[in-house]
Amino acid sequence: MSNSKLYKGSLTTIILKLLNEHDKMYGYEITQKVKALTKGELKITEGALYPALHKLEAEGLLDVEVAKVDNRLRKYYKLTETGTKETVNKLEELAEYIKTMQALVNPKLA
Amino acid sequence: MKLTEPQIQDLYAFTRQHFVEHYDLQTEPVDHLANDIETQWQNQPKLSFEEAKNKAFKKFGVCGFMDAIEQRAKAMNKRYRRYLWNELKNWFALPQIFATLSLFLGFYLAFSTFYTPILALVFYGIIIIWAIYKGIQLNRQFRRRKEISNKKWMLEEIIFRQSGVTSMVFMSQLYNVYRIPEGFITNIYFIVGLSLAFTAFVIISYISFEVLPSKAEKLLNETYPEFCL
Repeated sequence: MSNSKLYKGSLTTIILKLLNEHDKMYGYEITQKVKALTKGELKITEGALYPALHKLEAEGLLDVEVAKVDNRLRKYYKLTETGTKETVNKLEELAEYIKTMQALVNPKLA
Repeated sequence: MKLTEPQIQDLYAFTRQHFVEHYDLQTEPVDHLANDIETQWQNQPKLSFEEAKNKAFKKFGVCGFMDAIEQRAKAMNKRYRRYLWNELKNWFALPQIFATLSLFLGFYLAFSTFYTPILALVFYGIIIIWAIYKGIQLNRQFRRRKEISNKKWMLEEIIFRQSGVTSMVFMSQLYNVYRIPEGFITNIYFIVGLSLAFTAFVIISYISFEVLPSKAEKLLNETYPEFCL
């Protein structure tokens, strides 16, 4: 998904977090948003993003909306109620992970 | 600079060339490639459509659209099983439960006679012939639908073409139906089990070959917001 394999396990959390901050987003918009927020440091590849979005949709965490934009159809994703709850859990898990890693690699800061 | 309608159609054809057969799966990569091409044109307005398209596609990685197709297929099969399960539950609630019980009782009474192996084969044969007939009919229906709309939806294909998969599990048991051991036909537990299996076989086949295809429009509308667009 990115320039570093370390980000790989966090793709779902990144998607959920972005959708939690925006009402609805489409695939390309998500890739560009991540690129902009991380100043190009993290690039989500298309080949990883769409399977992840479809999986989250199948799990009932995302809902879809389709609209005609310009001369094509655009699929928007938004969080379901379950998705919003799951975002909180995922973010807590990630914070815990960062804390643990911090304790391991830099015990002085932990 | 925005993409023209023929260029969008070219992108649909491009996704088909890369094994994305279903319209519901083409929409997303088409929009993604179109956005990427338009962004490239902002920086390089002289870049040709073909060059920009190939550059955009490379970003999907070595597997191209395959991972997305695979994930989608899993999700759609899961959804289909959920629809099947929801319909199945109805047969254990009022008023259909009377039909389920009658069916079970009918099989039980028939299998309680001395002709269990013959009757099992006859019932089995009737259901198989009906399932094959319905399978052919649904396949034709699916082809006609595709000709009219010129679009193929993944769930639609599962409903019309894979409806027999669940029944196939039962169909594969022909050898066991043919070779019922003699000592078993007087065993009440065996008769109850056999009647239950046949009842389930009939109900599941009826749901997958008759009920779900008849509700196809509703289910497709529910699954795909773009179906009515």
